[in-house]
Amino acid sequence: MTPESQPATLRQFPHLRTPDHLATPTRHTTPMADTEHGRIAREYFEVRILRQDGPGQASYWERHRVKYEPDMNVISALQKIAAHPVTIDGQPVTPVAWECNCLEEVCGACTMVINGHVRQACTALVDRLLEQRASEIELRPMTKFPVLRDLVVDRGRLFHALKKTISWVAVDGYYDRGPGPPQSQEEQEQLYPLSHCMTCGCCVEACPQYAYAEVTRLEGETDEAFAARQAATYDRLFVGAHAISQVVLFNSHPTGRHMSGVRLDALIAEGGIQACGNAQNCVAVCPQKIPLTTSIARAGRASTAHTLHKWFER
Amino acid sequence: MATASNPRSFLARHEFLVRRLHSLTGLIPIGAFMTMHLAANASVLESPGTFQRTVYQIHSLGSLLPIVEWVFIFLPILFHGLLGLVIIRGGTMNTGAYPYASNVRYVLQRITGLIALVFIVSHVLHMHGWIHAEGWLEHVVRPLGGAQFRPYNAASTLGTAMQGTLIPLLYAMGLLACVFHLANGLWTMGITWGVWISPAAQRRATWGCAAVGSVLALLALAALRGAVTVDTHHAAEVENAMYEARVTAHELLPNEHKRARPQADHGRSARGAKVEGCW
Repeated sequence: MTPESQPATLRQFPHLRTPDHLATPTRHTTPMADTEHGRIAREYFEVRILRQDGPGQASYWERHRVKYEPDMNVISALQKIAAHPVTIDGQPVTPVAWECNCLEEVCGACTMVINGHVRQACTALVDRLLEQRASEIELRPMTKFPVLRDLVVDRGRLFHALKKTISWVAVDGYYDRGPGPPQSQEEQEQLYPLSHCMTCGCCVEACPQYAYAEVTRLEGETDEAFAARQAATYDRLFVGAHAISQVVLFNSHPTGRHMSGVRLDALIAEGGIQACGNAQNCVAVCPQKIPLTTSIARAGRASTAHTLHKWFER
Repeated sequence: MATASNPRSFLARHEFLVRRLHSLTGLIPIGAFMTMHLAANASVLESPGTFQRTVYQIHSLGSLLPIVEWVFIFLPILFHGLLGLVIIRGGTMNTGAYPYASNVRYVLQRITGLIALVFIVSHVLHMHGWIHAEGWLEHVVRPLGGAQFRPYNAASTLGTAMQGTLIPLLYAMGLLACVFHLANGLWTMGITWGVWISPAAQRRATWGCAAVGSVLALLALAALRGAVTVDTHHAAEVENAMYEARVTAHELLPNEHKRARPQADHGRSARGAKVEGCW
């Protein structure tokens, strides 16, 4: 697309453009059109799914044959499997469980590991995946979170990290305090991309420093006791790139920055920014193209300055 | 799986400071020392005499030298290396699924760190002997082929220690691992401390650190080549003449512990009768 042919919003915010690897393929690249090049259009394709019946249970692979239609995505393939839950060997099985919501890559609910790569199922186009690997499409749940069932995982640790780092602007009160301080255009443009985070978990799934963690309920443990124990465990583990980036977002916000010290304290606590290993996978896999490593560098500088400030000015 | 009931370790309570100190010690003093060490050793390429002069300068610190060695070199390296082992344990490689260049460097940083730790520990044993207690050196280190470097016969003992093919090959591997670890560590340090922030700045820094790494690699290989190609007989003559001249001019206290042993150990001259400690 030339800049002139783009909609105004795309010219203004070029990062909103669909990345090339996710863009809808044009006609001449679909397998259907490959008949021109002598390849036979496929009738079916295979999907291999890593299933798990419930938390703590053993996982197992299962193969399904799905009728091919042009322009399918992984969600529509999963819908076809749900409509006819029979394995490739003709065994009737329970339908495969998965989560999805927006179907336009802004909610993060359908994040899973597709052909070994973490991404959203809604924008994972079957035609493209089959170009990558013609024999099958491999689906597995994210590997860093406890599996609830099949492709559904408990991503609570991601949200716990947002709570730990106080990733919001606190504006509670009875009085109208008037409008907040204005933000410069430059600042807005720098921070807008950070607000795109949908807490999908891609960044931490690809992160070599973010380890899988699952806290299992003890015999006779109450909901509250279990939640407290889980929170305490998550507190000690790496917060993840998404939370570091949210700290940068809210510490730069004209009202949010009043609490910047508290957020930086959370970021230098155990499991904080220091656990980053600079592998930079987070920024490479982020579906929203959020400059996560830029946020990490900014937060790293701010954390050091904050620590020195606490030493010498308190 | 860690649970909340476990007491938090010292490392956990001070994780941020300890990791920042780990990052800092990689550059100062370790990186700075390594650069100086390579440059000093590369001077052997010029002549054994030049190298000997450099070593005399370092040893002019006298009895302060062991303190400087331990405080600014050995302890920081031990801290950096041992904490590095803890850091390696905290990560899981995933270059199979995500084969990005920076992810490969993440893995290489850990592999070269391990090689560097093993190399440095054995290199110090090979040349220096770890601890300069005569009993330890005599009965443990020297039978193992260690403590071969003698500062007052610098080039000749270095050349003798570096003979053969295996040792220079192991040194080349260890040196290149150290150089990669320092250059790539410099790059990650720039992000950790927030020096290069934007992707463009980080890309430029990648080139800068690659240049630093290339220069250090050349310096390291030059130093290695210099050590391997020393004419030990000629070097020993030069060194002995320099030693005699300095002792005669009262610029140097005689110290046989810092000199190469004569071939027949028991037929030693009485020159070193008065010994200033083992240093």
